[in-house]
Amino acid sequence: MKLTRRGFTAGLAAGMTAPYLIGSARAQGATIKIGMCAPVTGPAAEAGKYATGGAKLAVEAINKAGGVLGKQIELIIEDDQTTNPGIVLAFSKLAAQPDIVGFLGSIRSTQVHAMAPDVMKLGKPVMFGGTDPNLTKLGNPWLFRFRPNDSYSGRVIADYGVKTLGKKKWAVLHSTDAFGTAGGKALTEALGKLESPPVLDQGYANQSQDFTPVVLAIKQSGADILGSYFTFENDLGIFARQLRQLGVNIPWVGSPSIVNVTALKLAGPALYGTYGVADYAEDSSEGSKAFGKAYRDAYKVAPDNQSSWPYDAVTVLAAAINKAGSTDPQKVREAIIATKKFPGAEGEYNFDDKGDGLHGYNIVKNDKGNIVFDKHIEFND
Amino acid sequence: MDLALQLLFTGIGIGAVYALVALGFVLIFRATNVVNFAQGEFSMVAAYLMVVFAVDLGWPYWLSFLLSLAGMALLGAIFNLGVYYPLRHRTFLPVIIATIGASILLANSVLAIYGPQPQVLEGWFETPGIQLGPVYLDSQYLLIIAVTILLVAFNYWFFEHTMVGKKLQATSQDKEMASLLGISVSTMIMITFIYSAVLGGLAGILVAPVLFVSIQMGSTIALKAFAATIIGGFGDVTGAIIGGLSLGIIETFGAAYISVPYKDAFAFLVLVLFLVFRPQGIFGERVAEKA
Repeated sequence: MKLTRRGFTAGLAAGMTAPYLIGSARAQGATIKIGMCAPVTGPAAEAGKYATGGAKLAVEAINKAGGVLGKQIELIIEDDQTTNPGIVLAFSKLAAQPDIVGFLGSIRSTQVHAMAPDVMKLGKPVMFGGTDPNLTKLGNPWLFRFRPNDSYSGRVIADYGVKTLGKKKWAVLHSTDAFGTAGGKALTEALGKLESPPVLDQGYANQSQDFTPVVLAIKQSGADILGSYFTFENDLGIFARQLRQLGVNIPWVGSPSIVNVTALKLAGPALYGTYGVADYAEDSSEGSKAFGKAYRDAYKVAPDNQSSWPYDAVTVLAAAINKAGSTDPQKVREAIIATKKFPGAEGEYNFDDKGDGLHGYNIVKNDKGNIVFDKHIEFND
Repeated sequence: MDLALQLLFTGIGIGAVYALVALGFVLIFRATNVVNFAQGEFSMVAAYLMVVFAVDLGWPYWLSFLLSLAGMALLGAIFNLGVYYPLRHRTFLPVIIATIGASILLANSVLAIYGPQPQVLEGWFETPGIQLGPVYLDSQYLLIIAVTILLVAFNYWFFEHTMVGKKLQATSQDKEMASLLGISVSTMIMITFIYSAVLGGLAGILVAPVLFVSIQMGSTIALKAFAATIIGGFGDVTGAIIGGLSLGIIETFGAAYISVPYKDAFAFLVLVLFLVFRPQGIFGERVAEKA
């Protein structure tokens, strides 16, 4: 074969560009990468295991079903050390990898606040679980929430107590910290709208050793139902025991801490028969049941909201990329916002343009130490 | 009236807890002229020891109780040798800072081993409490009050009627003079640290079934106990008891009749008033600066 000049040039060009073309093909990816900041170490390390477990479960399910845009998903986890500086560092490490198309942030609002400016700069979608209502009002188009925000919990507690339990004389008890004050205010406002303003609005300081004066105030107020926002489980435990000891047995609907594992362990029978709001309740929907079964099969323990939201976040993100037909951040963002009636582990996702996916809570009941689903209350506004 | 009686009982109960921890403050202060800021952590460590022995290992309650107190005696001795003894010839400031350091070390060591979740320790009695007319008496608070009364009697007998007690008093009044009289000052200080650690531990074990076992349980109680010590008169055993009880009663009534969120503020308001108008406390004597 005679080597012509044209043939030689073409061969040379092909030889020179081939590594780049192959490299570029590889960069566009054999896989689609999702970054996750999670507390692998620090005080929330235990919760971190649940979070990464939930996300990995979703990745496996999606990959088994054929992946995203015909490719497999790869989850890259960075330790956020359960601190604000930790998550900023973890996110910057992930953000430096250009082939990561979306991220999972934190369940802690304060950490999401800390990373928000960097999220804005990067301009790629970040899913998170923090419930501070302000997080989706920052004007940051790249933040998407996978748990109902705190403005809904007060409305759900009020709605359930007034409409379902039929009680109108409320005692509202809340911590005087930022969380408790905001929660107490939301509940009081919601009760006002239902024409049942509380007969007692009582704050308490965190780490109180004794709640006798509070219990006696509730007793004297003549309230027939109690709504509460407790920040720390040991305060909740001490209060619950003293409430029962001093003979107060009115219905009690509390913020999510009333149904968490530590509170149940500390207060024991003192919390039997109480109600709580919960974003994840296994029996609340088919999606929740399916997730519960899959999680239990994989890890031999029951899941909680630490694991349900990352599961949903990965699932919704993957579906959005498929729908967008591309990993272009703007197109993915639009596809997430357009997600409606999507059945997830936490509930049905109907994203609004602010980035909030869920707009209601489940009410669960403490049935002799077992948490059972009672009803779901959803708001459309 | 029923309300007031219930509040009085709770006030005395919680006040007795402050008093127990305050006793530990006073004893160490008398012997060394230093405030031990790790006193609250002694209570916390003892409560966790109880959780290890009685809950995790499932040993009988009384055995776990004795072992925990023995553990506290050992901790008191180590604390003296590791924190106080090397600095004994220095001014009070380095010693106080060392006790703060030790308290941080203790709290974080327990955090590293046990994690941040609070633990449950069952009470001494099967029945949680008794209803006496309009007043509910929590059995654990009844026990705490009884132990406090017993300890007051024991302290009186120990310090006034035993040779070791008198030697301890002599040491706390004037170390040089005590030493000249043949009293081993370092042994007396060792005994004081061991006794204070056991007392702090006892308070922690007694209060754990009521307040649960958590890392911060010690520091919350210790802060109030410290205020109680100042109100009672620093360095006075009776003062610590009276200070603790009055603080418990004042904050409980203040919370009930004035404001719940400001409950802690009442305790510290009383502290400020004492510091301004009677800095030597109820039982303290006015001490002139030494020449």
